[in-house]
Amino acid sequence: METGYAVLSLILTVFVYIGAKKMHRRWTYVWFSPLVVAPIVLILFVKGSGIRYETYWSGSQWISDLLGPATVAFAVPLYKNWEIMKKHAVEIVTSCLAGILIAVGSTCLFAWAAHLSPMLITSLAPRSVTTPFAMDISSRVGGQSSLTAVFVMVTGITGTVIGPWLLRQRALRSSISRGVMLGVSAHGGGTALAFTVGPLEGTVSSLSMILTAVVSLGLIPVLLTL
Amino acid sequence: MKVLRVVWQVLLLTVLNEAGGWVVQALQIPIPGSLIGLFLLFALLKSKVIRVEWVEAGATFLLAEMLLFFIPSSVQIVDFGAVVQKSGVQLLLVIVFSTATVMAVVGLVTEKIVRWKKGGRKWKQGTQSSV
Repeated sequence: METGYAVLSLILTVFVYIGAKKMHRRWTYVWFSPLVVAPIVLILFVKGSGIRYETYWSGSQWISDLLGPATVAFAVPLYKNWEIMKKHAVEIVTSCLAGILIAVGSTCLFAWAAHLSPMLITSLAPRSVTTPFAMDISSRVGGQSSLTAVFVMVTGITGTVIGPWLLRQRALRSSISRGVMLGVSAHGGGTALAFTVGPLEGTVSSLSMILTAVVSLGLIPVLLTL
Repeated sequence: MKVLRVVWQVLLLTVLNEAGGWVVQALQIPIPGSLIGLFLLFALLKSKVIRVEWVEAGATFLLAEMLLFFIPSSVQIVDFGAVVQKSGVQLLLVIVFSTATVMAVVGLVTEKIVRWKKGGRKWKQGTQSSV
Protein backbone atom coordinates (compact mmCIF):
# COMPACT_ATOMS: atom_id res chain seq x y z
CA MET A 1 0.00 0.00 0.00
CA GLU A 2 2.75 2.42 1.08
CA THR A 3 4.93 1.41 -1.86
CA GLY A 4 1.96 1.79 -4.19
CA TYR A 5 1.42 5.36 -2.99
CA ALA A 6 5.15 6.09 -3.25
CA VAL A 7 5.24 4.97 -6.89
CA LEU A 8 2.01 6.87 -7.55
CA SER A 9 3.58 10.00 -5.97
CA LEU A 10 6.52 9.81 -8.35
CA ILE A 11 4.41 9.33 -11.48
CA LEU A 12 1.80 11.87 -10.42
CA THR A 13 4.42 14.57 -9.67
CA VAL A 14 5.87 14.24 -13.18
CA PHE A 15 2.45 14.27 -14.87
CA VAL A 16 1.11 17.15 -12.77
CA TYR A 17 4.28 19.10 -13.66
CA ILE A 18 3.87 18.38 -17.39
CA GLY A 19 0.20 19.37 -17.18
CA ALA A 20 1.00 22.56 -15.24
CA LYS A 21 3.68 23.45 -17.79
CA LYS A 22 1.24 23.00 -20.68
CA MET A 23 -1.35 25.08 -18.87
CA HIS A 24 1.22 27.81 -18.21
CA ARG A 25 2.09 27.88 -21.93
CA ARG A 26 -1.56 28.47 -22.75
CA TRP A 27 -2.37 30.94 -19.95
CA THR A 28 0.85 32.78 -19.20
CA TYR A 29 -0.33 34.45 -15.97
CA VAL A 30 2.35 34.36 -13.27
CA TRP A 31 -0.01 32.63 -10.85
CA PHE A 32 -0.15 29.72 -13.28
CA SER A 33 3.58 29.06 -12.91
CA PRO A 34 4.21 25.29 -12.56
CA LEU A 35 5.89 26.10 -9.25
CA VAL A 36 2.56 27.36 -7.91
CA VAL A 37 0.03 25.07 -9.60
CA ALA A 38 1.84 21.73 -9.26
CA PRO A 39 2.48 21.91 -5.47
CA ILE A 40 -1.16 22.91 -4.85
CA VAL A 41 -2.47 19.94 -6.85
CA LEU A 42 -0.01 17.58 -5.13
CA ILE A 43 -0.84 18.90 -1.64
CA LEU A 44 -4.50 18.21 -2.43
CA PHE A 45 -3.46 14.68 -3.45
CA VAL A 46 -1.48 14.10 -0.22
CA LYS A 47 -4.26 15.54 1.94
CA GLY A 48 -7.06 13.87 -0.03
CA SER A 49 -5.55 10.38 0.01
CA GLY A 50 -4.61 10.72 3.69
CA ILE A 51 -0.98 9.64 3.20
CA ARG A 52 1.86 11.20 5.15
CA TYR A 53 4.41 13.54 3.54
CA GLU A 54 7.11 10.87 4.15
CA THR A 55 5.22 8.45 1.92
CA TYR A 56 4.91 11.06 -0.82
CA TRP A 57 8.60 11.93 -0.36
CA SER A 58 9.79 8.30 -0.47
CA GLY A 59 8.59 8.11 -4.06
CA SER A 60 9.13 11.64 -5.29
CA GLN A 61 12.62 12.17 -3.79
CA TRP A 62 14.00 10.61 -6.99
CA ILE A 63 12.95 13.81 -8.71
CA SER A 64 14.59 15.98 -6.04
CA ASP A 65 17.80 13.95 -6.44
CA LEU A 66 18.16 15.39 -9.94
CA LEU A 67 18.87 18.77 -8.33
CA GLY A 68 22.48 17.58 -7.79
CA PRO A 69 23.19 16.73 -11.44
CA ALA A 70 21.30 19.92 -12.40
CA THR A 71 23.73 21.95 -10.25
CA VAL A 72 26.64 20.20 -11.99
CA ALA A 73 25.00 21.05 -15.33
CA PHE A 74 25.56 24.76 -14.61
CA ALA A 75 29.18 24.15 -15.61
CA VAL A 76 28.04 23.96 -19.26
CA PRO A 77 26.58 27.48 -19.66
CA LEU A 78 29.42 28.71 -17.44
CA TYR A 79 32.01 27.17 -19.78
CA LYS A 80 30.29 28.40 -22.94
CA ASN A 81 29.99 31.96 -21.60
CA TRP A 82 33.25 32.18 -19.71
CA GLU A 83 34.49 35.24 -21.60
CA ILE A 84 31.32 37.17 -20.71
CA MET A 85 31.75 36.08 -17.09
CA LYS A 86 35.30 37.32 -16.90
CA LYS A 87 34.22 40.59 -18.46
CA HIS A 88 31.49 41.20 -15.88
CA ALA A 89 33.16 39.79 -12.78
CA VAL A 90 33.08 43.17 -11.00
CA GLU A 91 29.31 43.64 -11.37
CA ILE A 92 28.49 40.08 -10.44
CA VAL A 93 30.74 39.82 -7.38
CA THR A 94 29.82 43.26 -5.98
CA SER A 95 26.10 42.74 -6.51
CA CYS A 96 26.17 39.26 -4.97
CA LEU A 97 27.77 40.62 -1.82
CA ALA A 98 25.28 43.51 -1.68
CA GLY A 99 22.43 41.09 -2.35
CA ILE A 100 23.37 38.75 0.50
CA LEU A 101 23.68 41.63 2.98
CA ILE A 102 20.34 43.13 1.95
CA ALA A 103 18.61 39.73 1.87
CA VAL A 104 19.73 38.70 5.35
CA GLY A 105 19.37 42.23 6.76
CA SER A 106 15.88 42.94 5.43
CA THR A 107 14.64 39.43 6.23
CA CYS A 108 15.77 39.68 9.86
CA LEU A 109 14.47 43.23 10.19
CA PHE A 110 11.02 42.48 8.72
CA ALA A 111 10.79 39.20 10.67
CA TRP A 112 11.71 40.95 13.89
CA ALA A 113 9.14 43.67 13.19
CA ALA A 114 6.51 40.97 12.57
CA HIS A 115 7.30 39.47 16.02
CA LEU A 116 8.35 36.10 14.63
CA SER A 117 10.16 33.65 16.91
CA PRO A 118 14.00 33.43 16.83
CA MET A 119 13.71 29.90 15.38
CA LEU A 120 11.64 31.23 12.48
CA ILE A 121 14.00 34.17 11.96
CA THR A 122 17.06 31.92 11.69
CA SER A 123 15.11 29.58 9.40
CA LEU A 124 14.19 32.56 7.21
CA ALA A 125 17.68 34.13 7.03
CA PRO A 126 19.18 31.93 4.26
CA ARG A 127 15.97 31.90 2.17
CA SER A 128 17.49 33.58 -0.89
CA VAL A 129 20.13 30.84 -1.23
CA THR A 130 19.57 27.76 -3.37
CA THR A 131 17.92 24.88 -1.43
CA PRO A 132 20.77 22.47 -0.53
CA PHE A 133 22.97 25.34 0.67
CA ALA A 134 20.13 27.12 2.46
CA MET A 135 19.21 23.96 4.39
CA ASP A 136 22.84 23.47 5.35
CA ILE A 137 23.22 27.09 6.52
CA SER A 138 19.92 26.91 8.42
CA SER A 139 20.99 23.89 10.47
CA ARG A 140 24.35 25.56 11.19
CA VAL A 141 22.71 28.66 12.68
CA GLY A 142 20.02 26.84 14.65
CA GLY A 143 17.09 27.02 12.24
CA GLN A 144 14.75 24.26 11.03
CA SER A 145 16.15 23.15 7.69
CA SER A 146 12.85 21.68 6.44
CA LEU A 147 11.07 24.98 7.13
CA THR A 148 13.94 26.77 5.38
CA ALA A 149 13.33 24.55 2.34
CA VAL A 150 9.76 25.84 2.24
CA PHE A 151 10.86 29.49 2.66
CA VAL A 152 13.44 29.05 -0.12
CA MET A 153 10.63 27.66 -2.23
CA VAL A 154 8.32 30.62 -1.49
CA THR A 155 11.19 33.00 -2.27
CA GLY A 156 11.66 31.28 -5.64
CA ILE A 157 7.95 31.58 -6.39
CA THR A 158 7.92 35.25 -5.30
CA GLY A 159 10.85 35.90 -7.62
CA THR A 160 9.10 34.32 -10.59
CA VAL A 161 5.91 36.24 -9.77
CA ILE A 162 7.36 39.75 -9.34
CA GLY A 163 10.33 39.15 -11.67
CA PRO A 164 8.43 39.71 -14.94
CA TRP A 165 7.08 42.99 -13.59
CA LEU A 166 10.58 44.22 -12.63
CA LEU A 167 11.93 43.10 -16.01
CA ARG A 168 9.55 45.53 -17.69
CA GLN A 169 11.03 48.49 -15.76
CA ARG A 170 13.06 50.83 -17.94
CA ALA A 171 15.77 51.29 -15.29
CA LEU A 172 16.82 47.65 -15.64
CA ARG A 173 17.83 47.29 -19.24
CA SER A 174 21.12 45.43 -19.37
CA SER A 175 21.20 41.64 -19.55
CA ILE A 176 23.77 41.67 -16.76
CA SER A 177 21.64 43.49 -14.20
CA ARG A 178 18.57 41.42 -15.12
CA GLY A 179 20.47 38.18 -14.68
CA VAL A 180 22.21 39.19 -11.45
CA MET A 181 18.96 40.48 -9.97
CA LEU A 182 17.12 37.20 -10.57
CA GLY A 183 19.97 34.90 -9.53
CA VAL A 184 20.92 36.70 -6.32
CA SER A 185 17.36 37.26 -5.09
CA ALA A 186 15.49 34.15 -6.22
CA HIS A 187 18.10 31.37 -6.84
CA GLY A 188 16.80 28.52 -9.06
CA GLY A 189 13.36 30.01 -9.59
CA GLY A 190 14.86 33.31 -10.71
CA THR A 191 17.42 31.52 -12.86
CA ALA A 192 14.71 29.48 -14.57
CA LEU A 193 12.92 32.75 -15.34
CA ALA A 194 16.18 34.35 -16.51
CA PHE A 195 16.71 31.53 -19.03
CA THR A 196 13.31 32.33 -20.55
CA VAL A 197 14.54 35.92 -21.12
CA GLY A 198 17.76 34.84 -22.83
CA PRO A 199 20.85 32.63 -22.54
CA LEU A 200 23.05 35.48 -21.30
CA GLU A 201 20.53 36.47 -18.61
CA GLY A 202 20.24 32.83 -17.60
CA THR A 203 23.97 32.28 -17.45
CA VAL A 204 24.63 35.46 -15.47
CA SER A 205 21.77 34.48 -13.15
CA SER A 206 23.13 30.98 -12.57
CA LEU A 207 26.63 32.28 -11.83
CA SER A 208 25.15 34.84 -9.41
CA MET A 209 23.13 32.09 -7.76
CA ILE A 210 26.19 29.84 -7.37
CA LEU A 211 28.34 32.68 -6.06
CA THR A 212 25.59 33.77 -3.64
CA ALA A 213 25.38 30.19 -2.33
CA VAL A 214 29.12 29.76 -1.80
CA VAL A 215 29.62 33.17 -0.18
CA SER A 216 26.50 32.78 1.99
CA LEU A 217 27.78 29.50 3.40
CA GLY A 218 30.66 31.42 4.93
CA LEU A 219 28.99 34.79 5.50
CA ILE A 220 25.52 34.14 6.93
CA PRO A 221 26.65 32.32 10.11
CA VAL A 222 28.94 35.31 10.80
CA LEU A 223 26.21 37.88 10.05
CA LEU A 224 23.75 36.18 12.39
CA THR A 225 26.10 36.44 15.36
CA LEU A 226 26.15 40.24 15.01
CA MET B 1 18.44 8.89 -30.77
CA LYS B 2 17.84 12.12 -28.94
CA VAL B 3 16.17 10.68 -25.82
CA LEU B 4 18.95 8.13 -25.34
CA ARG B 5 21.58 10.83 -25.69
CA VAL B 6 19.90 12.96 -23.02
CA VAL B 7 19.62 9.94 -20.67
CA TRP B 8 23.27 9.02 -21.19
CA GLN B 9 24.42 12.59 -20.60
CA VAL B 10 22.28 12.99 -17.49
CA LEU B 11 23.92 9.80 -16.19
CA LEU B 12 27.35 11.29 -16.83
CA LEU B 13 26.35 14.44 -14.91
CA THR B 14 25.03 12.22 -12.09
CA VAL B 15 28.40 10.43 -11.92
CA LEU B 16 30.16 13.81 -11.63
CA ASN B 17 27.73 14.80 -8.88
CA GLU B 18 28.49 11.55 -7.01
CA ALA B 19 32.22 12.12 -7.52
CA GLY B 20 31.77 15.54 -5.92
CA GLY B 21 30.05 13.82 -3.00
CA TRP B 22 33.00 11.45 -2.52
CA VAL B 23 35.47 14.34 -2.53
CA VAL B 24 33.42 16.15 0.12
CA GLN B 25 33.31 13.01 2.27
CA ALA B 26 36.99 12.22 1.85
CA LEU B 27 38.17 15.75 2.62
CA GLN B 28 35.48 16.50 5.23
CA ILE B 29 34.79 19.94 3.75
CA PRO B 30 31.55 21.81 4.47
CA ILE B 31 30.53 22.24 0.82
CA PRO B 32 27.73 20.40 -1.05
CA GLY B 33 29.11 17.71 -3.37
CA SER B 34 27.19 19.06 -6.36
CA LEU B 35 29.27 22.23 -6.22
CA ILE B 36 32.52 20.23 -6.37
CA GLY B 37 30.92 18.35 -9.30
CA LEU B 38 30.27 21.69 -11.01
CA PHE B 39 33.90 22.81 -10.62
CA LEU B 40 35.09 19.35 -11.68
CA LEU B 41 33.03 19.42 -14.90
CA PHE B 42 34.14 22.99 -15.58
CA ALA B 43 37.81 22.00 -15.19
CA LEU B 44 37.32 18.94 -17.40
CA LEU B 45 35.67 21.09 -20.08
CA LYS B 46 38.41 23.74 -19.87
CA SER B 47 41.17 21.13 -20.14
CA LYS B 48 39.34 19.51 -23.10
CA VAL B 49 39.14 16.14 -21.34
CA ILE B 50 35.36 16.28 -21.80
CA ARG B 51 33.98 17.85 -24.97
CA VAL B 52 31.02 20.15 -24.49
CA GLU B 53 28.92 18.07 -26.95
CA TRP B 54 29.14 15.10 -24.58
CA VAL B 55 27.16 16.86 -21.85
CA GLU B 56 25.32 19.71 -23.54
CA ALA B 57 22.02 17.94 -24.36
CA GLY B 58 21.73 16.48 -20.86
CA ALA B 59 22.65 19.76 -19.18
CA THR B 60 20.13 21.69 -21.29
CA PHE B 61 17.41 19.22 -20.34
CA LEU B 62 18.19 19.40 -16.59
CA LEU B 63 18.36 23.20 -16.58
CA ALA B 64 15.14 23.55 -18.57
CA GLU B 65 13.18 21.28 -16.21
CA MET B 66 14.74 22.57 -12.98
CA LEU B 67 11.40 23.77 -11.62
CA LEU B 68 10.25 20.13 -11.46
CA PHE B 69 13.06 19.19 -9.07
CA PHE B 70 11.86 21.73 -6.50
CA ILE B 71 8.28 20.49 -6.42
CA PRO B 72 8.66 17.46 -4.05
CA SER B 73 10.30 19.52 -1.28
CA SER B 74 7.69 22.26 -1.66
CA VAL B 75 4.88 19.79 -0.93
CA GLN B 76 6.45 19.37 2.53
CA ILE B 77 4.58 22.47 3.64
CA VAL B 78 1.74 20.09 4.65
CA ASP B 79 3.91 19.06 7.63
CA PHE B 80 3.94 22.60 9.00
CA GLY B 81 0.22 23.22 9.25
CA ALA B 82 0.43 24.65 12.79
CA VAL B 83 3.27 27.11 12.07
CA VAL B 84 1.65 28.15 8.80
CA GLN B 85 -1.71 28.72 10.48
CA LYS B 86 -0.18 30.75 13.28
CA SER B 87 2.41 32.86 11.43
CA GLY B 88 1.76 32.08 7.77
CA VAL B 89 0.65 35.58 6.77
CA GLN B 90 3.59 37.26 8.53
CA LEU B 91 6.04 34.76 7.02
CA LEU B 92 4.65 35.33 3.54
CA LEU B 93 4.77 39.12 3.92
CA VAL B 94 8.36 39.01 5.22
CA ILE B 95 9.46 36.85 2.28
CA VAL B 96 7.59 38.86 -0.36
CA PHE B 97 8.74 42.28 0.89
CA SER B 98 12.31 41.19 1.51
CA THR B 99 12.57 39.48 -1.90
CA ALA B 100 11.16 42.58 -3.62
CA THR B 101 13.66 44.79 -1.74
CA VAL B 102 16.61 42.57 -2.69
CA MET B 103 15.51 42.39 -6.33
CA ALA B 104 15.01 46.11 -6.74
CA VAL B 105 18.23 47.12 -4.97
CA VAL B 106 20.42 44.46 -6.61
CA GLY B 107 18.96 45.27 -10.03
CA LEU B 108 19.64 48.98 -9.61
CA VAL B 109 23.10 48.53 -8.08
CA THR B 110 24.17 46.22 -10.90
CA GLU B 111 22.72 48.53 -13.54
CA LYS B 112 24.68 51.40 -11.98
CA ILE B 113 27.96 49.45 -12.06
CA VAL B 114 27.30 48.37 -15.66
CA ARG B 115 26.84 51.99 -16.72
CA TRP B 116 29.72 53.22 -14.58
CA LYS B 117 32.01 50.71 -16.30
CA LYS B 118 30.81 51.94 -19.67
CA GLY B 119 31.79 55.50 -18.77
CA GLY B 120 30.09 58.49 -17.18
CA ARG B 121 29.13 60.11 -20.47
CA LYS B 122 26.58 57.49 -21.40
CA TRP B 123 25.26 57.37 -17.85
CA LYS B 124 23.37 60.65 -18.35
CA GLN B 125 21.75 59.62 -21.61
CA GLY B 126 20.64 56.28 -20.20
CA THR B 127 19.59 55.14 -23.64
CA GLN B 128 22.25 52.61 -24.57
CA SER B 129 21.04 49.20 -25.66
CA SER B 130 21.40 46.19 -23.43
CA VAL B 131 24.78 44.53 -23.17
